[in-house]
Amino acid sequence: MQYQVILAHGALGIWDEVIFLSIGAIFLVMMGISWVRSRNSVLDEEIEADDGHSTNTTDPSDERFRLE
Amino acid sequence: MRRFISPRLILIVMTVMTLMSIAPVSAHGYLIRSIPQDRATLERSPTRLQYWFSEALEAQFSSLTVLDQSGKVVASGGVSEDNNTLLTARLPNDLGDGAYIVDMRIAFASDGHVIAERRVFFVGEANPNIQSGGTTYSANGFEIVWRTMLLTSSTLLLGTFIVYGSVLVPAWGNPAYRAGLLPPRVMTRLNWMVGAALAVALVGNLLALAQQSMVFFDAPIEQVISQQLWRVVREGSRFGDLWTARMILLVIVGVCYGLSLYLREDQPESVRGFWTANAWAMALVMGSFSAGSHAAGSPILPWVAIFNDWLHVLCVGAWAGGVSAMALVLPSALTPYSGEARRLAQLAALKRFSRIATACVVVVIATGIYSSATWIYSSSDATDTAFGDTLLLKVVLVGGLVVMGLAHHISLQPERYEQWVKRVGVIRQFVPTLRLEAILVLVVLGSVGVLGATPVPVPYFIQEAVPSPTATLTSAGYSITQTVTPGGPGVNTYDTQILRDGRPVEGLTVRLQLVQPERDKRSLWLSAEDAGNGVYIAAGGEIDRAGSWLTLVDLQEDEGGRERVVFEWAITDEARVEQTQVPRLQHFVAIGLVLAAVGWALYPTAQGIYRRLDLSTANVTVAIGTIIATIGLSAAGVVVIQNTQAEYEATLNPLPTIINPILPDADSLGRGEDLLKRYCPDWVSASLIDRLPRTRDEDLFTATEDGWQGFADCDGKILTDLERWDLVNYIRTFQK
Repeated sequence: MQYQVILAHGALGIWDEVIFLSIGAIFLVMMGISWVRSRNSVLDEEIEADDGHSTNTTDPSDERFRLE
Repeated sequence: MRRFISPRLILIVMTVMTLMSIAPVSAHGYLIRSIPQDRATLERSPTRLQYWFSEALEAQFSSLTVLDQSGKVVASGGVSEDNNTLLTARLPNDLGDGAYIVDMRIAFASDGHVIAERRVFFVGEANPNIQSGGTTYSANGFEIVWRTMLLTSSTLLLGTFIVYGSVLVPAWGNPAYRAGLLPPRVMTRLNWMVGAALAVALVGNLLALAQQSMVFFDAPIEQVISQQLWRVVREGSRFGDLWTARMILLVIVGVCYGLSLYLREDQPESVRGFWTANAWAMALVMGSFSAGSHAAGSPILPWVAIFNDWLHVLCVGAWAGGVSAMALVLPSALTPYSGEARRLAQLAALKRFSRIATACVVVVIATGIYSSATWIYSSSDATDTAFGDTLLLKVVLVGGLVVMGLAHHISLQPERYEQWVKRVGVIRQFVPTLRLEAILVLVVLGSVGVLGATPVPVPYFIQEAVPSPTATLTSAGYSITQTVTPGGPGVNTYDTQILRDGRPVEGLTVRLQLVQPERDKRSLWLSAEDAGNGVYIAAGGEIDRAGSWLTLVDLQEDEGGRERVVFEWAITDEARVEQTQVPRLQHFVAIGLVLAAVGWALYPTAQGIYRRLDLSTANVTVAIGTIIATIGLSAAGVVVIQNTQAEYEATLNPLPTIINPILPDADSLGRGEDLLKRYCPDWVSASLIDRLPRTRDEDLFTATEDGWQGFADCDGKILTDLERWDLVNYIRTFQK
């Protein structure tokens, strides 16, 4: 069956397509993971636990300002 | 100062700089080798024209037309089926003396750019009044528009998503605002920025396909739409591949963005998820630019060049797009604050952004050095070319930007850089200077665009002309001249001109075989096409490596005997048409710099991961063991594959232990025929002829002495070695 090639016009022939699609698949998986991770409340709880005005500390992770 | 550095000014400068960067767009590829050379004067008409380019061409959209002095088309051609970097045309047999103009329309696959190239050659006498046209590129206004739209909007989108996920939420996140964790005024501003940029990107991408179709088909937009020419480009070109991938990704970004708006009331927690996910999609969109950049046509490790360029544009996007996003968001976010609260809010966001920008700048510099190393081969490439000049301008501008970024960085941490602060002071109002930095970023982006659109220097070693090997032999009254072009390993044409008494001989049956005795390798017989005027042509990729090669040429008249001549060639790698180059020390050093820069940029993240790891003895042992095993197995796998390939090659084509020292010319064949009739007349049979293609010369040589699979020996004991080789040469003539 003749199927339409989407991304196979490069110097590597079929590998061109494999590399392109693999990178695309990896990034789409990363998108999904990011989406799932961002939805859970871990960072939200971190923000809640923070006082909101602790910029005097040298630890960068504590440099937050709760915007109102 | 604030009045003059407004968002409108940023927008205007952004547009002007992008336009400036795109206006002089030109193709990345160039002509490497041409046969005949431009303005060459030839004694007789060539049989074929060959033009090799540095990059792959789009076969459907590249063409070659040959015109005579009166403007009449005498031949046309296209991209070779064997080599997509070669534009070739077969010429008619009866080209008379005069000037011939070769008009080429070349569409490069990597970037879709189309150039017109005009070359001239003369048969007989040169005509100085006929000029070559050189290379011309017809700019299309549409291209400037879509590149402006796409580049600007994509950079802003990537920067905005990265700033949102890595700067604004961690710095200002407030769980009270469940939809996006930021106050509605900030989310509204961000939504407007993303919505507008996304719309511009989608329209820009649609225009890109229309414009590319116009260029490929040299047709107006009405024709492109009415005849659906855009579909041919989308489905049949590399530009179409990248366009499709980019459009799919932009649609995914649009869907995520739409869902974040649609679900912000019912499922507000999902808003942040969609925005974070979109940063990854935009990273891929930026990759589509790299796949159509200079890097895609790199002669050195093209995939490394593409990934390096991708890293470069990602960091430029995070840095430049991030600066623009910060400059646009900060005024809205800080509206309710003043005094110390405003300062603290600024510091919270800017300190985080400063770390990201610093890491990006380091990676941008390192990847920029690698990109430059790919194109600069000599000091004159850096000093005497437009590319070198533009590169220098870019370095100066980046230097200015680094200084400004450094001033921001120091001002954000005055306690850390006390000595510097005492000497030069600190920036206290960040919003105006941030806008100024955003404008400077855009100036640098402009120089990046100019550099990307400036033709790369043609490497000096490619410009050296290597003459094609040619030789003349005489036999049985014939004067036979053969030329192998280009004469290096790879695809060659074998032109043979046959004269008798100074007149061309037509109607002969001519066949050729390429032989490399030192490997006991011989090709199949090639039938040469009678091109008229005594010229017989054949072509193929038989010469696969440098070394000593022979061309056996058999001539046969209709009712006459067969004549044999043998040409000896010293094939060198210098004559090869090089589309790829071996990486040099400077490239490995540059790759090391890039890896070091990326390592440095990712060090804080790695440190964070390290802190969270459970580094118990058992875990560390298992991890190290796994890493060592993986590396070991991978290395062993590579070695096994290489050895297997080498053994397979050696099994198929083992090097001969005895090399045939006798040229299989007419004299040798005559002697061999006599010896065969005298000593081993029974050898010639259907069985022998059947076995010859699978039998090596050294086996035949041994067989003449020891007998061979059913054949008695040819009284080899009384024949000298040279006579036995004459026998072998003659027996070979029975091979079909």
